[in-house]
Amino acid sequence: MIRNHLSTIIIFLVTAAAGVIAAISFGKMHHPEELYPSTFLTKKGMLSDYFDGIKGTNGDTEVYLFDSGVEGGTALLGGGTHANEAASFLASVVILENLKVTQGRVIIIPRMNNSAFTCSDPMEGFPEYFGIPTDNGTRTFRLGSRVTNPLDQWPDPLVFAQYPSNQQLSGFETRNLNRAYPGRPDGNLTEKVAYAIIQLIDKENVNIAFDLHESSPEVPIVNVIVYHEKYEDIAMGAVLGLEMAGLQFSPETSPKNFHGLSHREWGDFTNAVPFLMETSNPSMGRLRGKTDVDLVLRGYCDNYKKAKETGALRIAYREDTGEPIEHRVGRHIMGFKELINSYNYYYPENQIVIENLPDYDLMMENGVGKYLNN
Amino acid sequence: MKARISTIVTILIFFFTVSVQAQTFEQPVLISSAGQSADVKLVKMLAQRQGLDATTILMAKPADLTGFKTLIIVPGFSSKGLGAAGISQQEEMERVQTLIKSANDLKIPIVMLHIGGNARRKGQSDAFNQIVAENSKAMVVVRQGDEDGFFTGISKAKNIPLTLVDKIAETATPLGNLFK
Ligand SMILES: [Zn+2]
Repeated sequence: MIRNHLSTIIIFLVTAAAGVIAAISFGKMHHPEELYPSTFLTKKGMLSDYFDGIKGTNGDTEVYLFDSGVEGGTALLGGGTHANEAASFLASVVILENLKVTQGRVIIIPRMNNSAFTCSDPMEGFPEYFGIPTDNGTRTFRLGSRVTNPLDQWPDPLVFAQYPSNQQLSGFETRNLNRAYPGRPDGNLTEKVAYAIIQLIDKENVNIAFDLHESSPEVPIVNVIVYHEKYEDIAMGAVLGLEMAGLQFSPETSPKNFHGLSHREWGDFTNAVPFLMETSNPSMGRLRGKTDVDLVLRGYCDNYKKAKETGALRIAYREDTGEPIEHRVGRHIMGFKELINSYNYYYPENQIVIENLPDYDLMMENGVGKYLNN
Repeated sequence: MKARISTIVTILIFFFTVSVQAQTFEQPVLISSAGQSADVKLVKMLAQRQGLDATTILMAKPADLTGFKTLIIVPGFSSKGLGAAGISQQEEMERVQTLIKSANDLKIPIVMLHIGGNARRKGQSDAFNQIVAENSKAMVVVRQGDEDGFFTGISKAKNIPLTLVDKIAETATPLGNLFK
């Protein structure tokens, strides 16, 4: 009798302990890591300042403003639309922590889909965190999910009807911020976040807007600049500038009838010139081996080397070096700089002049940590 | 001996310069693609930045040649480009053949710009590369696309001036010089 009770108690205690440990671990994910903006930051606000329908939700997120005080254009840089794309978030953090704007304004949102940073993609085996060594130790960053946390938006419909195009996508995509634009004020959380971003672009008169991403090496849209057809020349000018700097980017037009994506809807629904960039991240690919922090950061994977050598697929993977984080972050930063340069060429009356961002070569030489402020 | 070599070199340079200078092209310019790769969009921008009076028609047909004095063709196969244009590879080849034939009949000289490197060589690209190169009066090529001497070979065999550059952006100056 006592033995029976004893085993019940033990099972109860073990389960409770596991629950507490899991709760602490899950709870931690809701506390975003501290970021350390450069001294040239002029204002820190929240996305809910532009649409209070997301106030108090996990969709609300920090918005950082660098105002040079000199009349010019305004750029928006978004990282972390997909929180599992480490270089997208990290590139926006490096820019945030180094940027100096001498003409015009730059607005940075490092966690575009903040809710997606509070969970991980199920069945993918992604690490929850990754660490970047710096002069002062190691900075730890969250590796999140591609989509909004189901705790914040549930359940998914069987079929997702994109608003307002009514394009049909799989139910899971209803939590994908990059299918949610232009969003709506009375929609689900992801649509509300998308709506808030569109409000920000309008209210701040954003002229040029960036959405940073990463992809699997084997998908066709990788190492690209995706541009809205209205702004082809700016994209081509940047592709040339990047080529001169030794970086190859393929220009890709935003498909006209694929809806909900930033490069389509920001261009259709706002006055901003949108660009989306993708780097190659082997930790996101279907051919990857063990999915650990090393793969996320070093980006080296024998499977991709083998796959590339067969020549059967077009794979954006460098056999010798892999796709390390400094390479991916460096590409995003260079793309950001060159697209702004190219924008300035076509809009000389509305320039945005930025300084202090590391060049690709320096980033490769020194690593990402050298450009983090703590 | 030294003096003789330098004389020979000077003469060679003189002939080279003369033969290159003989190839001047006139504006306005029509820019088109052969194979519908996105490279043509970069050439469009390079031409703009060189201040050329140029119009780009990706799928130019013989009727589009009216009023133009030079035709720039950018060869390179792209299945995505053809998909976007809604045509097959064979239809594209037929269009290119007809366009080249018309330009030749109308005595509108063709300039070839091959800027896509390895990615626009061999495979389905070389048929486009070859027909454009062989019918051109001048070629500007990014060196990576000529690693096997494909364009150099055509240049020598057909006596077509060829300028090789290392980077896409470096095609701008030789492109502009063709019209000076
Ligand atoms: Zn993404």
